Amino acid sequence: MNPSPARAGVVALRVVRQLKRDRRTIGLIVFAPIVLMILFGYALSGDMSGVHLGLVDGGGHAALRAHLVSIQDFDILRLGSESDAERLISEGRLDGAVVLGPEGVRVLLDSSSLQIAGAIAAAVQAGAAKEKTGLQTAGQQKAQESAITTRYIFGYDLVMMDTVGPAILGLVVFFFTFINAAIAFIRERSQGTLEKFMVSPLSRVEMVSGYVLGFSLFTILQSATTLFVVTFGFGVPLRGSPITALAVVLLLGAGALVLGSFFSNFARSEFQVVQFIPLIITPQIVLCGIWWPLESVPEFIRPFSYMLPLTYAAHALRAVMLKGAGVADILYPDLLALGIFFLIFSAAATMMLRREVA
Amino acid sequence: MAGRGMAREIEPAISARGVIKSFGRQRVLDSLTVDIPYGVTYCLLGPNGSGKTTFIRAIVRLLHLDGGEMSVLGRPVSEVDEIYSQIGYMTQHKALYPDLTVQENMEFYAGLYGLKKQQRVARLEELLEMVDLSEHSGRLAGALSGGMYQRLSLACTLIHEPELLLLDEPTVGVDPRLRQTFWEYFGRLTQEGKTVLITTHLMDEAEKCQRVGYMRAGRMAAEGTPEEILRQAGLRPILKLWLAEPERDAVLLRAEGYEIDVVGGVVQVRLESHARIKEVLAAVSPLDMRLAEPKLEEAFLRLSEAA
Repeated sequence: MNPSPARAGVVALRVVRQLKRDRRTIGLIVFAPIVLMILFGYALSGDMSGVHLGLVDGGGHAALRAHLVSIQDFDILRLGSESDAERLISEGRLDGAVVLGPEGVRVLLDSSSLQIAGAIAAAVQAGAAKEKTGLQTAGQQKAQESAITTRYIFGYDLVMMDTVGPAILGLVVFFFTFINAAIAFIRERSQGTLEKFMVSPLSRVEMVSGYVLGFSLFTILQSATTLFVVTFGFGVPLRGSPITALAVVLLLGAGALVLGSFFSNFARSEFQVVQFIPLIITPQIVLCGIWWPLESVPEFIRPFSYMLPLTYAAHALRAVMLKGAGVADILYPDLLALGIFFLIFSAAATMMLRREVA
Repeated sequence: MAGRGMAREIEPAISARGVIKSFGRQRVLDSLTVDIPYGVTYCLLGPNGSGKTTFIRAIVRLLHLDGGEMSVLGRPVSEVDEIYSQIGYMTQHKALYPDLTVQENMEFYAGLYGLKKQQRVARLEELLEMVDLSEHSGRLAGALSGGMYQRLSLACTLIHEPELLLLDEPTVGVDPRLRQTFWEYFGRLTQEGKTVLITTHLMDEAEKCQRVGYMRAGRMAAEGTPEEILRQAGLRPILKLWLAEPERDAVLLRAEGYEIDVVGGVVQVRLESHARIKEVLAAVSPLDMRLAEPKLEEAFLRLSEAA
């Protein structure tokens, strides 16, 4: 039987009718993000304290490194590469970075906060001087001096909420869609409707796409209100198009829906769905780079971060809102990764639908 | 369609040959063999755990068989997915959305089966009337009583006018008056050539079916029309006679070859067939009499004891 959009539409209409009638869930979908945003907004709206300095350690320069680490005002973030440092500065999440290597020392500074840039440059000079006195010959001292290069990068002067807000928009949609979808599919099983679907012309693909369609309406409603509060309530910049931001959120929501459907196979009741929160949601909150940059996550865990959809959604939403990125800018890797995540889990969810009954 | 007409005369609507299904070590269907003809109401009876529901789920391929062969509406069971639109399946879990209204539930199922708007409106009206829910079409399904919920579930199962109806305990919690309506409706469906397979615990419902299968431990312990089953169990109608001189008449009837018991002064004659009533009455003149038909329930008890 060929998949029919009409049948998927029938499922979508039913999902909308059900959710529409469930006032409490609607309230939760719309108002919980607002409350969350207000809480985060007030908690995080202050200037970031201290100087956030990235350190890319390519070996050598022990005295300079020790000097930088010893400065109390500096909050040191160890990074893997210079390009990571460059990106974090351009996103406004670092005030500067020092790249140590055998060929010399490079200092990257944020041109948007010159005062802090000056402080960092002075600290590097002082550290280099300490290093110099420890060196033996005049020739070595000369080489050391010439090896410090400074480069300015255009960054932002951001408050914490600016960088966290866009990512939270993704988190909120992911969280609510995952939970609601898992519960909806548990109910399809316990009500016996799933079994009845299996003996009807409705295919599994039509059923899952019907759900994606129906839930998308509520995802739009939810993200639109959240976006509104974030930008108008807290002045987080929205430099890109809100439509692009919504597209990212919709793709993320579709992924969360199929993930919820997949995991509903492992829960017997609504109560057990709640138990998935620490397992599925918490790792995303911790590892997707909302609170601290991915680059500061220990390297052996980082591959795991890159398997989580929220990592890509948070990155894409930041790019759209803070840098004005368009669809083409976030196509690779963000939209691609979200798309692949959706496809993998819709295949898994669809397969599990049959397995459950057989 | 002519081809199918031919097939109908030769093939049964459902045919199972040596069907086997196990769950773990437990064999739920144990070489089950049965033919269910087109155009009948067929009742599956049997104690809990005898395999009735498993059999129905095997027919619609919700589980895979471990052995044996089965065909449904002239197709091997492996292709049954292609004829789902001709099957109406009502599970024991009513399969309704409690947060949708009566009408919305029905509209949803009508949509799944692709009913066009005009057809849908007419069908909804007809079925709502049949299940006596016309006045409740705007009520949430979750707010209905148990019996109403059951009726709505039946209406949703019938919405696409299926050729084959598989109803797992459809009359649980339905009051006797409405049960009567259901049975009349099922009768109408079989007259249109549709096939209705019903599981039930209620013997009086089994007696309303054209054919009955009694399942025990995954097999058909007895199968046929209700009359055939009574005969298989060796049960015959009993004519009870109140006579002026019971002892004398009992001797007389025994001499003519009848099986006679005298219980509390009442002479009980086991009849070979109803036709013999006339002959008995020619031999004696009772003051009063009563014909006791054998009960299917008794037949099943006997048959399962024998098994």
